[in-house]
Amino acid sequence: MNENVTLAKWLNDEMNDKELKDFMALPEYATYSKIKEFSGQLTVPQADMDALYQNIARNRNKAHQPKVRKLNPWMPRVAAILVLALGITFFFYTTKTTTQIAEAGKMDTFLLPDNSEVVLNAGSEADYKEFNWDSNRKLQLNGEAYFKVAKGKTFDVVTPVGTITVVGTQFNVRARNGRLDVTCFEGKVKVTNGKETVFLTPGKTVAYENGTKLNLPDVKATKPGWLNHETYFGKVRLQEVISEMERQYNVTINLNAKAEKRFNGTIPMNNIDNALDQIILVYHLQAKKEGNIITLSAE
Amino acid sequence: MKQEQPIGICEELKFSAFFKSHAKALRNFLYYKFGNEEQADEATQEAFIKLWENCASVPTEKAKSFLYTVANNTTLNHIAHKKVVLEYSKKNVNHDTNNQSPEFLMEEEQFKVKLQKAIANLSEAQRSAFLLHRIDGKKYHEIAEILGIGVKAVEKRIHGALLQLRKEIDTFR
Repeated sequence: MNENVTLAKWLNDEMNDKELKDFMALPEYATYSKIKEFSGQLTVPQADMDALYQNIARNRNKAHQPKVRKLNPWMPRVAAILVLALGITFFFYTTKTTTQIAEAGKMDTFLLPDNSEVVLNAGSEADYKEFNWDSNRKLQLNGEAYFKVAKGKTFDVVTPVGTITVVGTQFNVRARNGRLDVTCFEGKVKVTNGKETVFLTPGKTVAYENGTKLNLPDVKATKPGWLNHETYFGKVRLQEVISEMERQYNVTINLNAKAEKRFNGTIPMNNIDNALDQIILVYHLQAKKEGNIITLSAE
Repeated sequence: MKQEQPIGICEELKFSAFFKSHAKALRNFLYYKFGNEEQADEATQEAFIKLWENCASVPTEKAKSFLYTVANNTTLNHIAHKKVVLEYSKKNVNHDTNNQSPEFLMEEEQFKVKLQKAIANLSEAQRSAFLLHRIDGKKYHEIAEILGIGVKAVEKRIHGALLQLRKEIDTFR
């Protein structure tokens, strides 16, 4: 029966005489015949086709616009908001500055986007932009930091005193109160201070104080001493040494004595008594401790 | 069916002529599917408006099949189908009605009602094919074109429709 379409043939008057005769002999023929007859009398409820056409004519000219019009009030607004939001996000993202701060008495180690390592010494601040870091590796430093820079293009450390440019290296920068100390531990470092440019090789240090270049001895260590709480000072004013101690120990130290001589040497930064002893010994001072306030005065 | 309109259907006169020759059949067809006049009207309008919008890209000889393709697609968007309600033509009533016995007339009326119900119970595919033939007098190949199927498939649907109708009518005698 699957492919049998005899009824369709019959309905369409396609049967030959014999087929028709056989079909008419069937008991179901009476019903089929009636179906054919009465279904032929069926009609569809009719519509006003002219009105329908008028409707179409009216709508078809608007037809292009309605879709546009429906979207019109919203699409541009939504698009504008999206673009604006995107723009603002992008603006903030590109101009966003990441700030790392090491408070007094604390060190802070962090990684830059290219996994360069930076160790901030106490009381130091570093600002940089994460956006497009790989092709614009630039960092603003105020204070002291040790850098272990990943290989790549130039890496700039901008300080108030000068700019240090390096290629894949380890170096230390201290920028405090108008003085800049840069020590190279590995690779090559370029220090630009005003018009002067100095290249440093491992072990070399350069320092500028108020525009004057200071010659400092070579360093034998492979890392700055302060990482192990042993800060080296080369020809540094006592006031600066004391400031560094204040940052490291998070104390206030008042110096009530004249000390013209510059300090040369290493001061422990994890034992305040030892540190004070060294200062006292070199400068012939005496120390008085009251809580977090230390007063140094002449012996 | 005037299918030999010259270039494009974008012209008002051609479009209106095309509407006159095809709208009624299209509307009937949609009515068989939906069983709902409103939806049939709406879908007819939609199809013609779509045709107008695309008149530039639809060649005249393809306009009809475009129309039915759109109509067939609209069908899919309507889920709530209603029962098809068809009326019997008044003028086709037998001339010698007066000579018939009341019992015979009663029986005939009952049969007519049963047929209406049975048609309404057909599947959409069978009903469309069957009614396009019975009401619109379409040839099988025309129905095939409208439904987008082969002639053989149309014959199968018609055969199935008759089989189904006869069964339903005879069962509830």
